[in-house]
Amino acid sequence: MAAGRRILIAGVGTHWGTELALRLERDPGVEQVLGIDTTPPLATLERTEYIEADIRSPLLARLLPTTGADTLVHAGILWYPEPGKPKRALHDINVIGTLQLLAACERTPTLERVVLRGSAAIYGCEPTGPSFFTESMAADYPLRTRFQRDIGELESYFENFARRHSNLTCCMLRLQPEIGPGLDAPIARYLSLPVVPTQLGFDPRLQLLHAEDATGALLAATMRPVRGAVNVAPSGSISLARALRLIDRPQLPIPHPLFGPALARLGDRLGAGSLYGDAVRLLRYGRGVDNARLRIELGYEPAFDAVGAIRDFAAADRGLRLVPTPGVASLLDRLAGTAR
Amino acid sequence: MSATAEAQSIPELGVRFLRSVRTAVDGGLDPLAAAEAASADLPKSLRDGVERMARRLRGEYHEDEWGFDEEFAEAAYPFFELLYDQWWRVEATGVANVPAHGRAMIVSNHAGALFPFDASMITGAIMKEHPLPRWPRFMVLDWAFSLPFLSAFMRKVGGIPASPHNALRILAGDGLMMVFPEGVKGTGKPFAERYRLQRFGRGGFVEVALRTGSPIVPVAVVGSEEIYPKIADSPLLARAVGAPYAPITPTFPWLGLLGLVPLPSKWRIEFCEPIELGDFGPDDADDRQLVFEISEQVRETIQQKLYENLVKRGSAFI
Repeated sequence: MAAGRRILIAGVGTHWGTELALRLERDPGVEQVLGIDTTPPLATLERTEYIEADIRSPLLARLLPTTGADTLVHAGILWYPEPGKPKRALHDINVIGTLQLLAACERTPTLERVVLRGSAAIYGCEPTGPSFFTESMAADYPLRTRFQRDIGELESYFENFARRHSNLTCCMLRLQPEIGPGLDAPIARYLSLPVVPTQLGFDPRLQLLHAEDATGALLAATMRPVRGAVNVAPSGSISLARALRLIDRPQLPIPHPLFGPALARLGDRLGAGSLYGDAVRLLRYGRGVDNARLRIELGYEPAFDAVGAIRDFAAADRGLRLVPTPGVASLLDRLAGTAR
Repeated sequence: MSATAEAQSIPELGVRFLRSVRTAVDGGLDPLAAAEAASADLPKSLRDGVERMARRLRGEYHEDEWGFDEEFAEAAYPFFELLYDQWWRVEATGVANVPAHGRAMIVSNHAGALFPFDASMITGAIMKEHPLPRWPRFMVLDWAFSLPFLSAFMRKVGGIPASPHNALRILAGDGLMMVFPEGVKGTGKPFAERYRLQRFGRGGFVEVALRTGSPIVPVAVVGSEEIYPKIADSPLLARAVGAPYAPITPTFPWLGLLGLVPLPSKWRIEFCEPIELGDFGPDDADDRQLVFEISEQVRETIQQKLYENLVKRGSAFI
């Protein structure tokens, strides 16, 4: 067998960077895993070499060629603030950081593949139009929020980069918001509130991606990337109302003009920061994407569908409850005689 | 459970239920156990309803990938059935022309300024009179999906935001798709122009049918034009709420909510012979000339059937 793969993970200090490193370490075909970030990995990694560096720094252009990496995975695009990466820095990290990283890639002759872990937020959340966006529909609607504009900007850099370097396989992953037992993300915290505020009269269709599949798809793209964008989403969809019933949380419907301000206040508590603008639209109109390219071209079959991801989240959920709905349900069951 | 229990009315059952609970509580049982014991006497249908409610409360029901909730649609059905049978006395012919399985596209004229009921009545005709009924999906004006309540309701009963991408996906999955190529032009036209078909857009529906190889079933609906006779338009109001148009009818907005009650016109729905597009391939969708020809053929079929059914119906209301 020829020499194994040398894989560089940018953003190894994020949940997804660490998870990917853990999986890669188990693969004997991978010769070396390198990770760069400003914060150390979240778990103890055995054969990953951690390099403390900031992707926004111009020094990166000198560092990257010395690694001899054949694959670069950028897992450091952030949806919401993290420890050591405050709200104000998100734009810099996401856009300027990616730009520097791509510039450094141009000087790294050993490189063969570049994978970016992006977001399906680029499609927006629209009441009209396709219920399942395919990869070619990214430019169909205006970019409405700050985060969307950031994603749009870095995608256009990446597209230009891919065009100029046709010898590289450049793959852009567009992930739906992740959820999973043990994953501490704003959407998970939102769904675990004792009473969940929703928008009166709206019941969005959601596709929340199971954390297991988010990592699985990233791993698949790292090992055998395809050119262009790939949606990463579960099959099917689930309405917010049904999801909340499965998770066993009562809804608190709020007239939709008031929902934004309410979530803005809650946003800081949930750690969503400036993302609440995206969340308001997501929780009003929902978003579905088509995952055919993920399943057929990338060859990754999600283990959980949209309902399965919610069920798995509900099974592990230990949050606070005000009204025990199974209590009501089992009461009704007793009356119906099915409990006997 | 005895046969007499089934025959009893709901109030009688309620009184009997409460009486037996009281007797049991007086006898020393706790209220919940008493209610549980007393419920055994309730008819099966009632207990099934309660059980369904409990199941739905836990989130244990099915939604498809579009958010269509069949149980919900079935629960809403009696209301539309009442409109179908009693209010509009719909007479449907040729329902068997709708394929019982496989992909197919229903194309119909569109009317009813305030709330177009034609999609629900065509659905009613299929569910009631087709030997092998199945729920069709229908394209809904985008704007409706930006509204509270209406958006959630439409989605649950089979409405899909109007987009060729969505129609392609439904048909590719061998679904039954209902489209109204006139769109807002059809629903927003004044009463004086009733039953005169408007332009069929750019023929996008034919492109979708060609790409998926779906037969087109033209449908003519008579009666939908009289439910809300649009005598004037209020562009100012339309702009204020962001609607494509704001109709003024003899009852709306003068009578307020009462003005939303549709007039009891007499309806006829005719399903025509399917137009098979099997001779063409997906690439023919790019042939503008062919697309316009087929679009015109469908339009003429519907227009002709509209006139025929208008004559057959006679008076509009009796």
